Amino acid sequence: MLPVSYYLIVSAIVFCIGIYGVMTLRSGIMIMMCVELMLNAANINLIAFASHFNQVNGHVFVLFSIALAAAEAAIGFAILMSIFRSKENVNIDNINILRW
Amino acid sequence: MDFGTLAFLIPTLPVIAFVLTLAFGNKLQSRAGYISIVAIALSFLISVLIFLQIYPHGTVEQSAHWFSVLNVGIFIDPLAIVMLLMVTFVSLLIHIYALGYMSHDPGKTRYFAETALFTAAMLGVILADNILQFFIAWELVGLCSYLLIGFWFRKPSAAAAAKKAFLTTRVGDVLFLAGIVILYFNMYTHVLPEVGGHGTVYLLQFKTIFEHLTLIPTDQLTIITLLFFGGAVGKSGQFPLHVWLPDAMEGPTTVSALIHAATMVTAGVYLVARTFPMFIAAPESLIIVALIGGFTALFASTMGLVMNDIKRVLAFSTISQLGYMMMGLGVGAIIGAEAVGFAMFHLINHAFFKACLFLCAGSVIHAVGTNDLREMGGLFGKMKITATTMLFSSLALAGIGIPVSIGAIKLGTSGFVSKDAIILEGAYSYLHFGGAYGSLIFFFGVAAALLTSIYTFRLWFMAFTGKPRQERHAHESPLSMTVPLMILAVLALVFGALTFSPFIHYLETTYENEFFEEIDPNGYIHGLAERGGYHIPEEPIVHLDLAHDTLIMMLPVIAGLLGFIISWAIYHKRLFSVASIGNMRNPLFRILAKRYYQHEIFIELISLKFTYGVLALTGEFIDRKIVDGIIDGISSFIIGGAEVLKKIQTGVVQNYATATVLGVALIALVLSWGVI
Repeated sequence: MLPVSYYLIVSAIVFCIGIYGVMTLRSGIMIMMCVELMLNAANINLIAFASHFNQVNGHVFVLFSIALAAAEAAIGFAILMSIFRSKENVNIDNINILRW
Repeated sequence: MDFGTLAFLIPTLPVIAFVLTLAFGNKLQSRAGYISIVAIALSFLISVLIFLQIYPHGTVEQSAHWFSVLNVGIFIDPLAIVMLLMVTFVSLLIHIYALGYMSHDPGKTRYFAETALFTAAMLGVILADNILQFFIAWELVGLCSYLLIGFWFRKPSAAAAAKKAFLTTRVGDVLFLAGIVILYFNMYTHVLPEVGGHGTVYLLQFKTIFEHLTLIPTDQLTIITLLFFGGAVGKSGQFPLHVWLPDAMEGPTTVSALIHAATMVTAGVYLVARTFPMFIAAPESLIIVALIGGFTALFASTMGLVMNDIKRVLAFSTISQLGYMMMGLGVGAIIGAEAVGFAMFHLINHAFFKACLFLCAGSVIHAVGTNDLREMGGLFGKMKITATTMLFSSLALAGIGIPVSIGAIKLGTSGFVSKDAIILEGAYSYLHFGGAYGSLIFFFGVAAALLTSIYTFRLWFMAFTGKPRQERHAHESPLSMTVPLMILAVLALVFGALTFSPFIHYLETTYENEFFEEIDPNGYIHGLAERGGYHIPEEPIVHLDLAHDTLIMMLPVIAGLLGFIISWAIYHKRLFSVASIGNMRNPLFRILAKRYYQHEIFIELISLKFTYGVLALTGEFIDRKIVDGIIDGISSFIIGGAEVLKKIQTGVVQNYATATVLGVALIALVLSWGVI
């Protein structure tokens, strides 16, 4: 059996890819996908520790996390839809009305 | 039945009348005045009943806690009851007269409401049993005077006069209030330990003050009484705060009569009389009272000589007569409690003849439609009642009489009896026993008497004799106006002569009764005077004998008669031409006609140049440039900083996310520093 640190390294790589995507990408859809990546990195962490400590808590928590990700995706895409309707694209450079 | 329990109704009824008149006056139209008249008549009735009940030795005292730190109450002693009777009676007559006088005025509802409140405020002043309540009513008097002087507020001069009266009396009121504060402080530090416990409630009550007067240091008392006198100077139109009184003529004549006779100006004299023990304990203040009073008496009468407005002449005579009253009180430093009697006696007599004079003047103005004496003349035939009543009250004002008495009855008009008492038994006794500035005060009294007589008869001759100087159909006034005139004229003639000694003796008991004997068995007033470094002789009044002191006794009489003769010669017989001396080329005349350039001094020099030009503009500079500059500097610094900092808010969510991630990374780095 692989040591737990292997899983953690994979999780960290996935998380960093997610963060990099969130910080650099311009498309709203791509950003959403990167956020999903970050969530899944956390899920990998949870599962890895659950099997390492032989406890069921981590499994249960991941189920919640997946449900949360689904809800987040539903809302996030709904927002992107309405942005697309008004702006004809989802490039977030155009969405800057919070500015001074 | 104990009528004392009804005492609270005396000021309350006019207040109710005020509310009712305001609420229903417009529906009642011409009958609006009846509410006030009925209310004041009832107040008069209650006052009479209380007087009959408490005469000659009783008092009425009621008191209740007010917010558990002060008290409200009613205190009626001989001093208060004579004032109550006079104010309600004269006010009643003036109200009845106003029914006719104000009948054509569209604002008569407002008029009667305000005069009712005015009367109520004055009654509140009289009935107050503590100095704070006194001050509240006193301020209410000031407010009502403002409203009534500015009654015809659409006229700019009336509005200006109202403002002037309000502001000038305010100067005095601030002094008065400062006096109350210092008094309270002294009562708190010196007297509270003596009375102890819940005594704070009654600290400002007159009786408490009088009872523990010896505990307050004399120098403190001097300051307090001088500040109190400052209030009286403002309210009673003494020099130098008298400037508002002549201008107060802008109101309806009935208002002038109310202000000058019954309410308002007598409040100042009443204040000094009410707190007389405090003044006695600080005799330096009393001497200043006498000097200011005497000087005002002379000063105002010189200006009365040259005025051409009939009401202005009377206004200056009021200032002058108030000066006599203050002088009468001031000589109390030597003659003791009798001084209160003399001053109050003159106050009451003055109320009668001055009310009568003003109402007569109103009747004349009503008939000829002008205030200017030069346009009047020859009215005697057309207005017999007015002319006769005015002659009677002029005789009283000028003080015509003979210094002889048959039994208790003095021969002379009211004004003669009381002025004679102040000049001879007051000022001369003061001089005789070596009071400070005695001869000066005596001189003021006699000289003012001469001038008073001259301008009084000048007024009468110019208005009623000679040829009519103007074609007008003057006619006698209606009965509601002439009946009060007749009542007042009769009182002006005989009241003083009939009541002199009982009145003085009754007033003396204000400060010489069981209550005060208990405080100091050796004589309360005497004891206080000793403490202030003065000595009141055993028999303080010099009893003059016509055979021995002819000259002294005849002085006021000669002054009065001489004035009459001079006026008669100049203004009736025209033995001398007035124009030869009475023109603007004569510097003496010019200074009088310009009223000693008071307007120039007070308004242009003090108000405009000093207060506005120096104080206000300096204040403006400090406020605008320095205070506002600091505030504006702070705000523009913050705004500028914000302009720079707001650039951080790019509105791009990714930048915020980046900042968050970097922040978290930084925190993680810092936290793990020790571990690695």
